[in-house]
Amino acid sequence: MLRYFGTRLLVFIPTLLVISMVAFALSRLTPGDPVECGFDGMSEMNLGTATDRNTYKETYANEARVKGLDKPYFYFSFTSAAYPDTLYRILDRFERQSLNKLIAQYGNWPRISEYYSNIQSLEEALFSMPKNQSRDGQIVLLRDLNQLKIAYQKESITALLDQLQKTVQADSLLGVHLANPASSLAASYQSVQSETTPGLLKIPRLYWHGIENQYHHWFSRFIKGDFGTSCRNSQPVLDRIKPSLFWTLMMSLPAFFLAFSISIPIGVYTAVNPNSWFDKISTVTLFILFSLPSFWIATLLIVFFTTKEYGWFMDIFPGVGLGDLSTSAPFGDRFWESSAHLILPVFCMTYSSFAFISRQMRRGVIDVIRQDYIRTAKAKGLPKNKIVWKHVFRNSLFPLITMIAMVLPGLIGGAVIIEVLFNIPGMGRETVEAIRSRDWPVVYTVLMLAAVLTLIGNLIGDFFYAMADPRVTLDSRN
Amino acid sequence: MFFKRKKQQALEPASKEQSYWSGVRKHFYKSKPAVWSVRILMVLIFVALFSDFIANEKPVYCKLDGTTYYPVCKDYLVSLGWDRWDAQFFSIDWKKADYESVVWAPITYSAYTIDYSNTQFKSPFDAQRVSSKRHWHWLGTDEIGRDVAAGMVSGTRTAMLVGVIAMSIATIIGVFFGAIAGYFGDDRLRASRLQIVCNFIGLILGVFYAFMVRSFALSDGGVFFIEMLKSMLILLGILALANLLALALERLSGWNKKRALPVDMMVMRFIEVLNSIPGLLLVLAILALIKRPDIFNIMVIIGFIAWTGIARFLRAELLRVRELEYIQAAQAMGFNEWRIIWRHALPNAIGPVLVSVAFGIASAILMEAALNFLGLGLSIDQITWGSLLNEARRDFSAWWIALVPGFAIFITVTIFNLIGDALGSAIDPRLNQ
Repeated sequence: MLRYFGTRLLVFIPTLLVISMVAFALSRLTPGDPVECGFDGMSEMNLGTATDRNTYKETYANEARVKGLDKPYFYFSFTSAAYPDTLYRILDRFERQSLNKLIAQYGNWPRISEYYSNIQSLEEALFSMPKNQSRDGQIVLLRDLNQLKIAYQKESITALLDQLQKTVQADSLLGVHLANPASSLAASYQSVQSETTPGLLKIPRLYWHGIENQYHHWFSRFIKGDFGTSCRNSQPVLDRIKPSLFWTLMMSLPAFFLAFSISIPIGVYTAVNPNSWFDKISTVTLFILFSLPSFWIATLLIVFFTTKEYGWFMDIFPGVGLGDLSTSAPFGDRFWESSAHLILPVFCMTYSSFAFISRQMRRGVIDVIRQDYIRTAKAKGLPKNKIVWKHVFRNSLFPLITMIAMVLPGLIGGAVIIEVLFNIPGMGRETVEAIRSRDWPVVYTVLMLAAVLTLIGNLIGDFFYAMADPRVTLDSRN
Repeated sequence: MFFKRKKQQALEPASKEQSYWSGVRKHFYKSKPAVWSVRILMVLIFVALFSDFIANEKPVYCKLDGTTYYPVCKDYLVSLGWDRWDAQFFSIDWKKADYESVVWAPITYSAYTIDYSNTQFKSPFDAQRVSSKRHWHWLGTDEIGRDVAAGMVSGTRTAMLVGVIAMSIATIIGVFFGAIAGYFGDDRLRASRLQIVCNFIGLILGVFYAFMVRSFALSDGGVFFIEMLKSMLILLGILALANLLALALERLSGWNKKRALPVDMMVMRFIEVLNSIPGLLLVLAILALIKRPDIFNIMVIIGFIAWTGIARFLRAELLRVRELEYIQAAQAMGFNEWRIIWRHALPNAIGPVLVSVAFGIASAILMEAALNFLGLGLSIDQITWGSLLNEARRDFSAWWIALVPGFAIFITVTIFNLIGDALGSAIDPRLNQ
């Protein structure tokens, strides 16, 4: 037994690690600049003074450091020898991507880095110019430079460089300040193109970064319960999730208990009395309930039973949302108000799982009834009730254990569509809103939490299953 | 075929068809709900295939100024690039053109056609402003004046496509992983250490040369599929080289002690990882990575997630089949393992796969409808059952939009569940006692 639990736990850890890596990889692949998420309206595009630019760069670097984005992604990197091992130090994600693509084309990092630093120095020269002179030209130049930073295709870079030269030459003042850096920029791009080293690209290289990396940073914080900050209002993710967790539990706990407390007796009764009229009716009903999409039923309920649109007698339930009582209202009023609003969502969450559980329960009980020991119990004349509840029911509980373990994570993950439809601020709606407003820290925290909870649910299920049926543990021994 | 069932049975001698599958078919068609489900499914497939001829704003046939046109068919040619519309048709109002004779599609609107005179949710019983009863909106219109019936027809095509595409992908992946996990188990795939090491190095180098070196060609150069094919060929070539090298080294060094690879354990862990992330969330998270997601992306993603059920069923079945004597006989005759899997083991384990494919189609359609219903990550002009149903929330008086699309989803999901149920009990007679 202990050995079984031991191996089961040992398997749990690598699975968790793999899931964390998947979630991490997904979170790093999302579009948008992760550093700028949560920045208060500051943007590089504005033509400010040189100090403005420096402040922006400093804030950017600070923010990146706080979020741990100034580190390499993983413990090691496996690239070709053409790539420098410190490319992660370029904080801006889009600049880094275009540099990556330049290297993939030419394989010549020294020249490319020269070209990149020439872009930087041209930008610095542009910012240190007096601001009141030839302002239009400066704005055009800055726009071109920003495009140049993220351009990587030959045609677009050449076109941008040409345009840049023309703007510089057209204005005498710009020419005085910027002619030199602009021409050296063009020259450095020429040398990038002429001195390619494609051979370097074909040599693989493994580089070890150590534990100072983003994944380590993210995962160790996650384990400690620090899930980062939300992009929308820089609130810690945990604080955002807590109230929604409350509402989700308010919905899913009643749904959970209702579903199990109705479906277990039905499942047992129909299995013990097969082909009775109740069995026939309930089989059909449960099948239909099982196939009814809950979002359709929810829509129908909302459309037909929450308004006076189809007559006053159809306005049975309150509308979507949680009512508009303020938090200062007495507890009793608030309780009744929210209970009334939760009736329909709880119903929608209950009926589908109710159908599923009853069907599983019926199948489980039928499997047990066919066993020889039940026939023996009948033969020795035990009363039917005793056979059913003492011999059949207790032995048919095994599938139920797995099912409860399966349902557990759903309790916290929430029913996304039901919450969105009924406008209940639970976890599901929170996640959908986070996705819509591109608030990735919240999304991946929920994803990760749901995955971890599922794993733990499986683990608990396996434990109880093994406690109830020790034969399971025999498998692991050979 | 199944319409003639009874007659055929009477004519054929009973002893003629005694194969396993004929028994399964017989059992399957005994169940009335299953027969009706198959009939409804046929109708749905018909609607999906010929949706352009069922709901179209252009006439199927028309005669205009002495010339005969087949506008619906012409549309196909135009979209293939083999034909062009004449200039007069660019701004034509098909409903008001002066035809000498005309044959309309049963529904005279396309899914995207906006009827500007019937906007703001006109119900089927409202006074619709249409030129003749022929152009009546039989299922009403939505907020911007699109015909709901036409939307339903185009939604049928989407739903069937989701079922076909998502489940084909899922079946291919699921059968592969289920087969290797179930047949090899933890003990039957044996490899020497040299082989394992060589394959590992080969895989890493293969990925490097196929994908990392060619990353620019893959992302920016040429046609993606051709470049991807080249990369795949490079990867396979390097893996083949690695195996040859391993073989040669084994011969030379004599280190050819084989040990078992825990294939089953690895596949099951992989499935556990995939299953532990809630499906809807995973789809949404992956959709977020795609710049302009469309319906096909969703189908592919659903396919890549939904294979686990198939793989698990097939694995369980193969774990049983592989212990049977005829498999041992095949092994004793020295057949290649892959040949045994493909020719001997799989055909006897395909039943559970069919059942879980049927259930899988139901849940894929349901998931696609749910995603469209949430309206996440899709372009607005894509009309599906889910997106139609979503419109019901904008105006509570539009009862027809609340009822019709949801009912279609319900029926489709139900028939696939019924087919799966009937298949299951036809394949496994133990359940019928």
